[in-house]
Amino acid sequence: MALYYGSWLILLSPLFSFAVIIFGTRVWDLFSRPVQATPAQQAEAHAESDIHYIEKKGPHGEEEVLEDDEDPQVPHLTMGAKVSGYLGILIMALACLYSWILLLNTAGVLSIAPPLPASGVTVLSYNWLVQAGGTASYVVAFHIDTLAIAMMTVVTTVSLLVQFYSQGYMGNSAGYARFFAYLSLFAFSMLDIVFAQNFLVIFVGWELVGLSSYLLIGFWINKAAKPAEDRPSPSNAAIEAFIVNRVGDVGFIIGIMILFAQTGTFDFATLASKTDPHGVSHVFAGNLGLLTLAMILVFCGAIGKSAQVPLHIWLPSAMEGPTPVSALIHAATMVAAGVYMVARTFPLFLAAGPQAFGVVAWVGAITAIFAATIALTQYDLKRILAFSTISQLGYMFVGLGVGGAEYGPGPGMFHLFTHAFFKALLFLCAGSVLHAMHHALHRETQDMRYMGGLAKFMPVTAITFLIATLAISGFPFFSGFYSKDTIIGLTLDRGDYGLYIVTQVTAGLTAFYMLRAYILTFGGKGGAYSGLWGGPYRGAAGVAGVSWGRLEGDKGVAHEGEPEESPRTMTIPLILLAIASIVAGYWFGFFSYVSPGAQVLNFGTIMTDWKTWVGVLVSFLGLGWAYYLYCAVGWVAVGNVVQNNAVLRFLHRVTLHQYYVKEFYALLIRYGVLGLSHVEAAFDTYVVDGIVNGVAGLVRGAGRDLRHVETGRVQSYMVGFFGGVAVLAVLVFVLVTFVK
Amino acid sequence: MGLTLYHFLALGAILFFIGLYGAISKKNAVAVLMGIEIMLNAVNITLVGFSFFNRVKPYSTYLTGQIFAIFIITVAAAEAAVALAMIISIYRKRSTVDVGEIDMMRW
Repeated sequence: MALYYGSWLILLSPLFSFAVIIFGTRVWDLFSRPVQATPAQQAEAHAESDIHYIEKKGPHGEEEVLEDDEDPQVPHLTMGAKVSGYLGILIMALACLYSWILLLNTAGVLSIAPPLPASGVTVLSYNWLVQAGGTASYVVAFHIDTLAIAMMTVVTTVSLLVQFYSQGYMGNSAGYARFFAYLSLFAFSMLDIVFAQNFLVIFVGWELVGLSSYLLIGFWINKAAKPAEDRPSPSNAAIEAFIVNRVGDVGFIIGIMILFAQTGTFDFATLASKTDPHGVSHVFAGNLGLLTLAMILVFCGAIGKSAQVPLHIWLPSAMEGPTPVSALIHAATMVAAGVYMVARTFPLFLAAGPQAFGVVAWVGAITAIFAATIALTQYDLKRILAFSTISQLGYMFVGLGVGGAEYGPGPGMFHLFTHAFFKALLFLCAGSVLHAMHHALHRETQDMRYMGGLAKFMPVTAITFLIATLAISGFPFFSGFYSKDTIIGLTLDRGDYGLYIVTQVTAGLTAFYMLRAYILTFGGKGGAYSGLWGGPYRGAAGVAGVSWGRLEGDKGVAHEGEPEESPRTMTIPLILLAIASIVAGYWFGFFSYVSPGAQVLNFGTIMTDWKTWVGVLVSFLGLGWAYYLYCAVGWVAVGNVVQNNAVLRFLHRVTLHQYYVKEFYALLIRYGVLGLSHVEAAFDTYVVDGIVNGVAGLVRGAGRDLRHVETGRVQSYMVGFFGGVAVLAVLVFVLVTFVK
Repeated sequence: MGLTLYHFLALGAILFFIGLYGAISKKNAVAVLMGIEIMLNAVNITLVGFSFFNRVKPYSTYLTGQIFAIFIITVAAAEAAVALAMIISIYRKRSTVDVGEIDMMRW
């Protein structure tokens, strides 16, 4: 049992490395840098008022904006920076090893320790506040069970690989040490959610995740927005992520407060027993609607954190962060928090009315198809991946929504588990591509119109990306095939044909846009769009009438170098994740692992079920159609067909602009929020200030007018005095005479 | 029918209002002072009247009203002295004893 009780080490070790890096090695790094001022530094001092750009003179004399936060002061990493990286990786590797031991032990592969009790083990508990009379206590408690172990394995593994990868990717970036500190903090925040025993702790972790994502999305603080590519600046993206999450958190807090007000506890296990419809102390017995409402409000938090439909806009913007951060956010640490939280509170959702899970499933399904249709037409590689994440998260919520008592949180969590590996892989591959493009073009390029033919130059990245593409598309025998088709099949088993059609169509769309992304990036003989690596694949850049795909204000990019395969620090994580992307799906006991007593997947049943093959057929249709359009027909030809057809052109424009959700929110803010604030400002100016100034004016006016009573003449005072006495006398006389 | 309390009260009231009229309407500060003296003496008459007619038995010990009257005469003498001194002082300063013009305490 000591093995289980020691697992707090996993939780606290990233916090430890965060503290050591921030207060130790990072300071060392800062002090050991060369002190002489570089030209860029002088320019910065010159234009100190403008903090958004670090400008330098380009080779042709024009003002060139330094794009990527390449630190001109640090041509190579100091020892302090390197040690920061090694420390973060080493500690994360130990935590990862520990969680794998826990996982293998509880899954029955190893038998170092006795089996974990079904209710789990509380590893750390501290009475933070006890209300007088002991009516309620606020406990900071950490708890592990199989669900937590599965999740912590994902978190530590992906964090480790991302940190390892960042050595190569962030090698020339300012704040290398700080980056590793933030990555550790991010891992700690997520582990706090994973270990949480009650809503109080999970909420703290929830906000810590928000903070760390804010720090990491906005990591490149000097980078400017790119309006031509519809990309915000990282600092704005960070603020957007933070604020959009606040919107969901309002619901989350209200939901927690309803539960606490009714049951007097935050603890998940106690809550589950108190809401159990068959239990003795069923708090919500005659009041199931309130519980349903509370759970839907709690789910609002998950909508924000997991980027579901009304609040999904922060996730594509979050692409402005460094690519390893995107991988971390999308695979393990940030968006998974919402899914994990719903899985963690699964008994509560189960106890609530069916509407609670109905909302979860339908929000997920709508998100899935909504994001998938947007991803069809995007040019930006990372943005496609962002929308594919939103779409896959939708699947996870569908899986949680249809799981029911018989499967538990298994289907949703299984997709989270497999998705973590292939989505991390996709992002790390994208990072590798961007790294290579940066090397070739000397500018940051995420636009697939500049790419093409990269498979020849970077084979490892291309092959691993293809594996992830097939995994996410539900290609047979890859991990996504098992986890996604299970969810799709479950919707049909539940008799919900609407959900089934939506998820099945989305699966086809997913296959299409992922293969499209692969072909446009890696495939063909090379992207000739801007005359890059030759070949007629895209059609020549100078062809008349081919302007629809051109970036605004783009004058073509000079061919400045060849892209090349990324260093080994970057390709090793890719290969490891590619293996995980295939084998993760073969853990058929996952459902009963995370939720004891649940039904288990069976390979034979999967292979003989007709629903599986419908799914495979749809996936093949998507893949084949993408292959046909982008390999056989060619992008330019497809584009011309779309642009010459009014309906297709309209659809293309709408999805390219992401259904104008951002524009809608901008209008909502401008006319709704700001309009309301104008009304409030008017209320303040005219009513509140009016009352205050009115009182003051009244007093002043009264004083101005009444002071004339003070004539200074003694006789007028005498008249007043005796007049007053006379009045009083009359009054007394009247009272005495008539009132008695 | 001899003298009754009401005669005294009527005399006191008439004298009081004569004094009040003088104090309020006269311009000359000395005249105002004289009005005030008349009012004081009107009150004295009232007090003495009450003292005399309210006895329980002849030559009783109920002399409160008369003692009050003596006090008021004393105070009136002091008041007249102070008031005349002020009037002289104001006259030296402003060359007037018109109470209508003495309004330094105005707003």
